Amino acid sequence: MNVERTTYDSLPNATPMGAPLDWKWLRGARSEWGVRPKPSPRGLTMLDIAVGEYGEVPEHPAHRSMAPRGADIDPDSVDMGYILNNKSDVWSDNVRELYEEAVARQWSATRDIPWGELEELPDDVEHAMCQLCTLLTEVEMIAADLPAKWMWRMNHDFIEAKMFLCTQIMDEARHAEVFRKRALSNGGGLLVSRAGPTSLLRTIMEAKTYTQASALLHLLGEGFVLDIFRMGELIAPSDVEKRMFRMCMQDEARHVAYGTMHLRYAVEQDPDVAEEIHEALDHGERILVDFGAAPDVSTALAVLLAGGVDHLEDKGFPLALEMNKKQFTSYLARCERAGISRLERTTIPLELLGIDPDDVRRAGGVFAKSGVS
Amino acid sequence: MNGDAASTAKGWARAIDTVGFFVALADEMNEHPERCQVIGDAEMDAVIVMRAPDSEFRVRLRFNGLRCEDIAVVRADELQHADFRLVGDASAWHVMFGDVVEHQRATGLQTINSLALMGDAIMLEGDDPMGIDKFSRFNQTLQEFFDGAAVVLAPSCSV
Repeated sequence: MNVERTTYDSLPNATPMGAPLDWKWLRGARSEWGVRPKPSPRGLTMLDIAVGEYGEVPEHPAHRSMAPRGADIDPDSVDMGYILNNKSDVWSDNVRELYEEAVARQWSATRDIPWGELEELPDDVEHAMCQLCTLLTEVEMIAADLPAKWMWRMNHDFIEAKMFLCTQIMDEARHAEVFRKRALSNGGGLLVSRAGPTSLLRTIMEAKTYTQASALLHLLGEGFVLDIFRMGELIAPSDVEKRMFRMCMQDEARHVAYGTMHLRYAVEQDPDVAEEIHEALDHGERILVDFGAAPDVSTALAVLLAGGVDHLEDKGFPLALEMNKKQFTSYLARCERAGISRLERTTIPLELLGIDPDDVRRAGGVFAKSGVS
Repeated sequence: MNGDAASTAKGWARAIDTVGFFVALADEMNEHPERCQVIGDAEMDAVIVMRAPDSEFRVRLRFNGLRCEDIAVVRADELQHADFRLVGDASAWHVMFGDVVEHQRATGLQTINSLALMGDAIMLEGDDPMGIDKFSRFNQTLQEFFDGAAVVLAPSCSV
């Protein structure tokens, strides 16, 4: 492409009706004309087009309009009322990669789950699966509602973060869909919904800042649910549920990866934010412990882990305890990764759960980074 | 029993602690992109470590898009370059691939996700915390790759 600009001197200054014309867009609006990103082997990705000025995300955007970052923006652009105007409010360094990954790894709860292979299950197992699906149908949509609550408040210069959150919303709609479909598809249906889960969801929705909300949602809530999905092979009575949990797992892991890296970025940019995050997690952990111990959740998981009510005592509950230990260890390790160690502050009963803080530090990569073996 | 002897005893077409086996798995995956189409593109570097009493086999698998692009033996001091490592005794890997051969795909507790979750026989390790998270994002792609063993270990499969 010829980078030298044509001046278009002979263009009319007014319409045939006499209205004035502005040819600024053609005659040389400020832009990186001639910059041509090269597609990678997979196509033209968001990482590929993050070149030149277009790839620079300002720490503090000058505008608060929906004008696209990198355009020649009218100084009179309307203020959209954004309140998240610092990059550290929403950004994570992996957000472009996660967006591309999300788009590439979308799936259909209608088409990609082998619903036709569902078979009649023992009554207790079907009840337990339906109870778990009732809970998951209820809690999954919080991860759609929460970003939706904040996205319109995010400065438009952080478009990649907003685009990623759009994929999260779609993912969570699909999760609510797949668990609702599973509950209804095998003759069981939706079972009990109690106040406990709703309290956790309300805590997340009412977080005062987006970063606090992200800590509660991505790190605590979705991290906890991710580990339930990872348990899929242990709790799924058939290939239908296994497939369902596997597909949801990869989605959920993206959300957790975004949250972990967002919190790390936020704390790196402003260490004072750590205390804000700690305060949110102090409260969130207490509710999550109550939530995890709630009879509907713990008993349904134990029945699934035992393969029925007959082996609850000797198999179901011991395995559930082991899984709880892994869930909380994973969560605390992610906090280490995010740079907000909870080990000195958490009220999670580490000793009761048999969690060794050194295991958490090791899992969080702290030993590796510091060279401690 | 080490990997080679165990593979021979099972009548498999290849020993699993060899580059040839992993190259064959990559070829199988790359010839059938439709198997990974639903799961989607992946981008990860994983290292598989098989420990035997007197040796250690380490191989790095590089995935890009719907393909396994590169297979390479790595030294112990190169492990940190991967996103994550899956480390287990050769016997544990034999049980895992044996399950794949028997059922034409991994089942139950022998899926790589379950094995890494339990952490008893095969452990998920890594130095980069975000790299470890990639395991959860992409382990279904890795599972498809491993499930190719149903074909490449079949006695009738030529080396």
